[in-house]
Formats: sequence, structure tokens, C-alpha cells
Amino acid sequence: MSSGPPHVEAQRKPRRQEAKPVHRGLKRKHQEWLAACLFIAPDALGLFVFLVIPMVLALGLGFFDVSGFGGFAFVGLANYKTMFSDPLFLKSLRVTVIYVGVLVPSIFVVSLVLALLVKQKLPFMGVFRSMFFLPHVVSLVVIGFVWQFMLIDGRGVVNQVLGAVGIGGRSWLGTPNLALGTVLMVSIWFLMGYYMLIFLAGLQEIPQEYYDAAKVDGAGSWTRFWYITWPLLKPTSFFVLLVSTVIAVAGLQGFDLIYVMTKGGPANSTSLGIYYIYNQAFQYNNYGYAAAMASFLILVLLVATAVMFVLTRGGRFEDV
Amino acid sequence: MQDKKNMARQVEVAEEHGISRRQFLARGAAFTLAAAVTGPGLTVLSGCGGSDSSASGPLEFWQFDAGGGGNSPQAKWYLDVADAWNKDHETQIKMKYIPVQDYISGTKLKTGFASGEGPDIFVASSNDFTLYYNNGALQDLTPFIEDGARDDFYQNVLATRMVDDKIYAVPLEVEPLAMYYSVKAFEDAGLSEADIPETWDQLLEVAGKLKKGDRFGVLFETNANFYQNFTWYPFMWQGGGDTVAKSGKESAFDSKGGVQALQFWQDAIEMGVAPRKALGSGAGDLSANLVQGHCAIEECGIWGVGDMRQNAPDFEYGVFKLPRPPGGTYTTNFGGWAWAVSSKGKNPEEAAKFCVWALGSMSEDSIERGVRWLESDGVMGARKSVVEQATQRGHFDPEPMKFFRDEAFPGSRAENRYPPEISKMVNDAIQNCQLGGADPKQTAEQTAQNIDSFLEGYSGAPLI
Repeated sequence: MSSGPPHVEAQRKPRRQEAKPVHRGLKRKHQEWLAACLFIAPDALGLFVFLVIPMVLALGLGFFDVSGFGGFAFVGLANYKTMFSDPLFLKSLRVTVIYVGVLVPSIFVVSLVLALLVKQKLPFMGVFRSMFFLPHVVSLVVIGFVWQFMLIDGRGVVNQVLGAVGIGGRSWLGTPNLALGTVLMVSIWFLMGYYMLIFLAGLQEIPQEYYDAAKVDGAGSWTRFWYITWPLLKPTSFFVLLVSTVIAVAGLQGFDLIYVMTKGGPANSTSLGIYYIYNQAFQYNNYGYAAAMASFLILVLLVATAVMFVLTRGGRFEDV
Repeated sequence: MQDKKNMARQVEVAEEHGISRRQFLARGAAFTLAAAVTGPGLTVLSGCGGSDSSASGPLEFWQFDAGGGGNSPQAKWYLDVADAWNKDHETQIKMKYIPVQDYISGTKLKTGFASGEGPDIFVASSNDFTLYYNNGALQDLTPFIEDGARDDFYQNVLATRMVDDKIYAVPLEVEPLAMYYSVKAFEDAGLSEADIPETWDQLLEVAGKLKKGDRFGVLFETNANFYQNFTWYPFMWQGGGDTVAKSGKESAFDSKGGVQALQFWQDAIEMGVAPRKALGSGAGDLSANLVQGHCAIEECGIWGVGDMRQNAPDFEYGVFKLPRPPGGTYTTNFGGWAWAVSSKGKNPEEAAKFCVWALGSMSEDSIERGVRWLESDGVMGARKSVVEQATQRGHFDPEPMKFFRDEAFPGSRAENRYPPEISKMVNDAIQNCQLGGADPKQTAEQTAQNIDSFLEGYSGAPLI
């Protein structure tokens, strides 16, 4: 069935007939499939060699006692049994749960609010967008050092400023009850600009006509947000929720900050699961045990992600 | 903005190929999941094991002084030693520099051994000894060391590098701990040398007087690492405590000495005279803390003398011995680094000959080399002949070097050689009490139980 004007169809037909013999035996669909494969191949190969193979090897490593000096001994599930009676691992899991539980919703709310604000057509919005995104282009190690200096006991600028309103004089990184919250605050500050951009992309895809029509019908700001923005932003929200959860559990930026700012202290209060795993591997040479813990962490993450996928049908909320 | 455009374009491309924007976002999230987790969590762990190095070529000496573009006296000394050896020997030595933080608490050394691409020669502290010895990674150096040279080392320095009368590392130096103080801070507080504290109570009292504005009275290490253990141990030893009993079979951590040392550091924090966080790389960094006015007194090793000479030559400071608890006996921890040879290296025998030639022979050159190291690094010698010759040359004439030789070092103890598992337990106890406010007695008892459990299954170098 054709939808074009007759003269256009007339022009198209001969070209199709001419093109056919050139690609004999290979339909257009297959050509595209082949091209896609060729484009994907370099990345897929790299992922396979540098990610899948090491991942499988590391999963296997969890069943061995590995000295780090060439010694391997098969220990079956011993590493997995040890981890559930290891109070420091269990504590690191608790720290991870708190970290993820605070970071993910906070990042979601803060970056959504920022995106809504910078979407406004007001002067200097480009400058504000850049400012919010700016931390993300700086090395996390540098970020960690700068914040550590700003937060230092007594003389840090944070204490100086807070001192003016009567809540200074605290050791933000040296007090177990405050250190995790402080690292979380820096993490949110660092990540918010990135997720703001993702939300902004989602917001800009919502047709302006919907808002205009709603305004004509007398809908207020909240009503427009609730009945237009929120539902149409659900796929983006799902993406942000999922990716920020993965990043938080895997400690992709938390690790760097903790390594620089607290070294997991004070008193293990900021020892995320990934940091504890790192220490087990590279401080104590317990590579097998570390691999087992990493595998467990991945399992938890996969289950959590699967639940999120199932509950939202992979982001298609309206079908749930 | 470019990211946003790219993403929008990717979504368009996906839609053109029959994938909805939602599906694209969902699949993107799934991909991120795989990439994010497997990257840091697993790939680093998969390279463990490996095989022994067998390639020919120069022997690699991994250390944290020479290289990296630095031109310090220590770097020059290392390069001179390698040059002197290379001139007369077929087997060449090549210095490989690793930044000190990465060397001590990073992954470079560990992954080097794990992948079979580790060093031929490396510097190791007592704290590292059991990890390498228990895994068969240390070459026996005894056959290459003459008896005279063996006796020339201070025996307590050599002891933590020996097992069954065999020597597995050649000590380079010792670095006793002491308390550094700012003369100006003392004067501003109306204090003088007569007020230098000799007991813990006096220290806390003086620290209280020195606390002013943003400046704390005294600084002990606050970072959660094994260096913190190193600086805390002497306070435990002074009260007669120890981590592991002399038998090596059970813990002594819950003794009076251990409990009161935990209490002492906790008191310093809770009284508000010590900060919960050190500046710079930690309490071993004088120029970042004492010089910057973060504290008026700081516990630090002899290396602080070189640090001050290099980074704050005009800063007026003094040094005094670690204060004692009531009824306690003075001691300090002298730590220090040693050269070790990897038994898994390319040519362990030649590497062993190099180490002994450089630091452990009775030849004039070897002793001279030791003296020049003291002059370069500003530390204490590990050999009697080296210290004697350095004394004759006036190395210990100026203060505070004289203080370190005559007052700090006598009565000092070697750093313990504990497996990382025990060191971690001790560090947790220190952290929990110092910064976490835990009860020192209960913490010490729990830690002692944990150490006992570990010792039940421990086999390896005796824990001294």
C-alpha cells in the first residue's frame, strides 16, 4: 500500500526494481542487520574481552582461596559462608543500604527540581545549567580533596559559615554520626547536575501544546505538573532511578569520595560495601573472599533491578 | 549540552529502527547496570594469581623515593646506589618509582605480585612482613650476609625481619616517634620548656592550655589505617600492654595497658583538645598540621625533621619524648623500612646480593652508603657502625637529631609484624574508641576475643 502521490510512486518503482539485482539474496532488513552488527562489533568485542571474561573469571574466583601470590585453593562456598558471619561486611551492607536509600531519592528530587527550574525561559538560564553541571566535569579526587579542606574541623569554610548561624564547630568527617551524611551531601552535589540534564532532555520532549491547552482549561502549576509532566516523564524517571541506584550500589563515585575523604572511617561509618571489598582484596590480599562479596553485591543489584523492571514493566508505567 | 544533544540523537536513531524511546531508555539503563557493576566490582579481581616472573632484563626495584621527576636527596641516593652497582655488575638494577600513598595503601604492589609482574626488590615495613613471608614471597638473604655485618645491625631492628634465625629483609633505617611542638604556640600560651609534659595527664592539661581558636592542643593520627596503629602502639606498650602475648598464641589486647591507651586517645578527643580529623595526608604530615596551626603538638616520626627542613625551614619547633601513663615505662615505636627480595622475581640470588652489597656488608662502601642515607633522609641508622660514623661526622650534633639518638631511640621497640587481619582488628578498636566513643574496656575485650579466634587458625611467621 502506498501513501505518496501517484507521480512520486511512479518515480520510485523503477529505482526499486533497478536496485534489487545489486543486493541479490540480501533483503534490506538483513542489510541493516549486518550493518548494525558491524557497527556494534568493536564495542561488543571490547565488552566481551574486558568485561564479560573478567566477570566470569571473578565469579569463579569467589569459590577459591586466593593468596595473591599464585596460590589457589578451592574452598567451595566457604567465602560465601564467611561473609554472612563477618560483622564488618554486614556493617558495610548497612552503610550501603543507607547510602543508596538516601542518595537515590535525594538525587531524583533535587535534579528534577533543578531541571524544572532551569527549563524556565528566564535570563541567564544557560549559565545556571552550566553551573549545576560543572562539578561533574571535575575529577572526583579533586572534588574529594577540596571538600575535605572545606569541611575540616574548626577552620573549614563550612564550619565558619555554619558558625555564623550557630551550628558550626562540628567535625563533619571525623564524627561517625555525621560522616556518612557529609559524604552523601557531597555525592548529591556532584551528581545533581548530570541527572538534571537527563530530566531536562525528558522535559523538553513534552509538547508545549499540552501545557497551553491545560492553561486554557484553567489548570494551575501543580495540576499541570501532576497531570502532564509527571506521567510523560515516567520513562526518564525510570531511567534516572535505575541508573542512580546502580551507581550508588556499585559505589561508582562513592568509592572515590570515600577513598579520598574518609578512608571508610571514622569507625567504619562510611565503609560502603564496595570499599570493604576493595580493602579485602588490596589491603588484606583476600582476593577470593573479595570476589565472593562482589558477586553477592551484583546478585543483590540484579534482583533489585529486576524488581524495578517488573514493577514498572521496564519503564512502561501505564501498562502496569 | 553536547551530551543532551547526543542523547536526543540516540533516541531518534533508536526510534527510527523500531525501538521506542522508552525501550531505548530501559535498555540503556540495563546496559549501564552491567557496565557499572562489573567494572569496579569484578574486573580488578580477575587478574589475581598469575605466574612467577621469568623474563630476563634488569632487576626492578620498587620504592617510593627515586623517580617520578623528583630531585630529592633521597631520590639521588637511590639512583647513586643503583649506578654504583650497575657499573661493576652484569645484572643491572632499575629503579621503579611508585608514589608513596599508592605504595603504602594502594594497589600497585599487591597487584604486581598477584599478576606475577611484581618487583624483584622492594621496600617493606615490619607491618608488611608476615603477608609476604607467609606467602613464600621473601628470599632468604642469610647466605649472603657475613656474621660481622649481621651483628652490626641493632638486634631488635633485625629481629622483626627474621624467622628461624634466617634474615628476610635488610633494614635501611629506623624512624622513632616523638612529639613535635610549636615554640610560638607554647610562648603564646605562656608556657615554656619547663612545661613540656612527661605524663599523659600533663599532656592533656598542656594541650588544653594550647587550644586556642581553630588550633587544637595535640594531634594524634585520626585516619583509619595501619599507620594509626603504628603511632598508637607505644602508648599501649608504655602501660605494659601488647596486642599478642609473648607466646604468640593468644591476645593480650585486653590488658590494662591496652585499655588505658584506648581511653587516653578517647579522652583527648572528648576533652576537645585533639581534632577528629588531621589535615594533609594525616598526623605524620607536620607541614600540613603543626606548621599550618591545626595543632600545637603533634605525634610524628623522625622523618618530620626532614619534612620541616624542606618545607618549613623557618618554623620554630621543639621535640619531646612520648609522655607516659602513671607508673608506665617510656618506649616508642621505631618502625623503619627494609629492603626485601621477591623469591618470585627474575633473579632472586642476584637481587639478594645487591641488597646485601648495598646495606648489609662490612665493606667501607656499604657503611658509607648507610651514612649517606641518614644524611639524605634525616633518619636514624639501623646499624651501629653507620650510627657511629654518622656521629663522627656530626649528623647527630644539631637538635633534634641529637634528641632522637640519645633520648627517643634508647628504650624504643620495633614495629610489630602482624598479619593484616590483626592490624585491622586493632585499627577498628582504636577508631571505635577514639572517634566512635565506644567503651575502651569492652572494645579491648571484644578485640582480644577476635584476635584469639584468628590466632587459633594462624600458621606462619611468629608474631613479634
